[in-house]
Amino acid sequence: MSDDHAMVPVTQLEPGMVLSDELLDNNGLVLLAKGAVLSEATIASLQRHHIEAVPVARVEAHRAPDEQAVVARLDHLFRQHDLDDDHDWAAKLLRRYVEDYRLERQVAP
Amino acid sequence: MTITSEELIQGLDDLPSLPAVVMELLGSIDQEDIDISVLAKKVSADQALTAKTLRLANSSAFGLVKATTIQQAMTYLGFQSTRNLILAAAMTGCFPSGRCPSFDDKAFWRLSIATAACARVLARHMRFNQDVAFTAGLLHGIGRLVLVTRYPEQYDTVLRERKRLDGDLLDTEQAVLGVDHLLAGAALAEHWQFSGTMQQAIAFYHAPETPGAGFLATIVHVANAVAHALDLAGDADELVPSVSSVAWTALGLPEEVWLHVFRETELQFEEMTAILMA
Repeated sequence: MSDDHAMVPVTQLEPGMVLSDELLDNNGLVLLAKGAVLSEATIASLQRHHIEAVPVARVEAHRAPDEQAVVARLDHLFRQHDLDDDHDWAAKLLRRYVEDYRLERQVAP
Repeated sequence: MTITSEELIQGLDDLPSLPAVVMELLGSIDQEDIDISVLAKKVSADQALTAKTLRLANSSAFGLVKATTIQQAMTYLGFQSTRNLILAAAMTGCFPSGRCPSFDDKAFWRLSIATAACARVLARHMRFNQDVAFTAGLLHGIGRLVLVTRYPEQYDTVLRERKRLDGDLLDTEQAVLGVDHLLAGAALAEHWQFSGTMQQAIAFYHAPETPGAGFLATIVHVANAVAHALDLAGDADELVPSVSSVAWTALGLPEEVWLHVFRETELQFEEMTAILMA
């Protein structure tokens, strides 16, 4: 096995992971192409096909998001919204969630 | 100038035409007795359309089993899903502009694809028909294409004026043209014999709290706002439109689900734009 991929058990797969090789079923038919991006639906299908582990491409080192740039861009995108206005609360929530998402904040369920 | 809705509807036949088979698919939306094998053969005669449709059908958002023919895609994904994929593949290649320099058709389709991807993800969470949501998301802004194709010079004025005021597109359309893209989109949806639900979603996606707008309008409304907020059109002047608190409440999703929706929308968007905008 080379350094650029790892075999990952199906139970540990996450949406967004990328296949480093094509995936065949027991009959030699292609289930998923090389480079396919896994979604929740494909992971569920893999479980239905009783596949145990798949080759996943290793991702390059993770870079932390630039908080200042993210906030500045969101300020610009939401410039027509008055975020102190209680009537505009849905836009306010959307903005807060997108900010949490961009800054990869942990959100308690 | 003021365009009346009669003029608008009369002009719809002048729009750049879609391939004949696509018109046939559009007309088949509510038909039950359609001969699928005949349609599959007709689509297959268009190689570019077939290739694009199959790539989309085999993308991770839609299929796990690989389809190599339109007929197979229809067997694996079903007729409804495949028809929607063919429409998506055909639509994103149509309406070449040029006489309206301010209209960025790339940004337009990127936003439409992002809205379609998000609508599909939201539909899954709401147990709503995902194919219908995808198509409605993709076509929600189709009225803008009607206006830019029919009235390119005037629409250029609309876009420049909107940019100058940094205001609402619908208000500017109304002020300059006397009609807006909601009316134009609804007229086209009717002309193309879209289902009533689809017509309502296109006509009311901006005001989903309108009585009778339907739940599809709610999904498309929020998906459109998310597509803008995720900044997926690639437009430096991007502006997040108003977000209906009624629509937001109707979806009732907690934050951790939203973060999931954002992530999945971006993933599907990347994959679909690579196929559809190629």
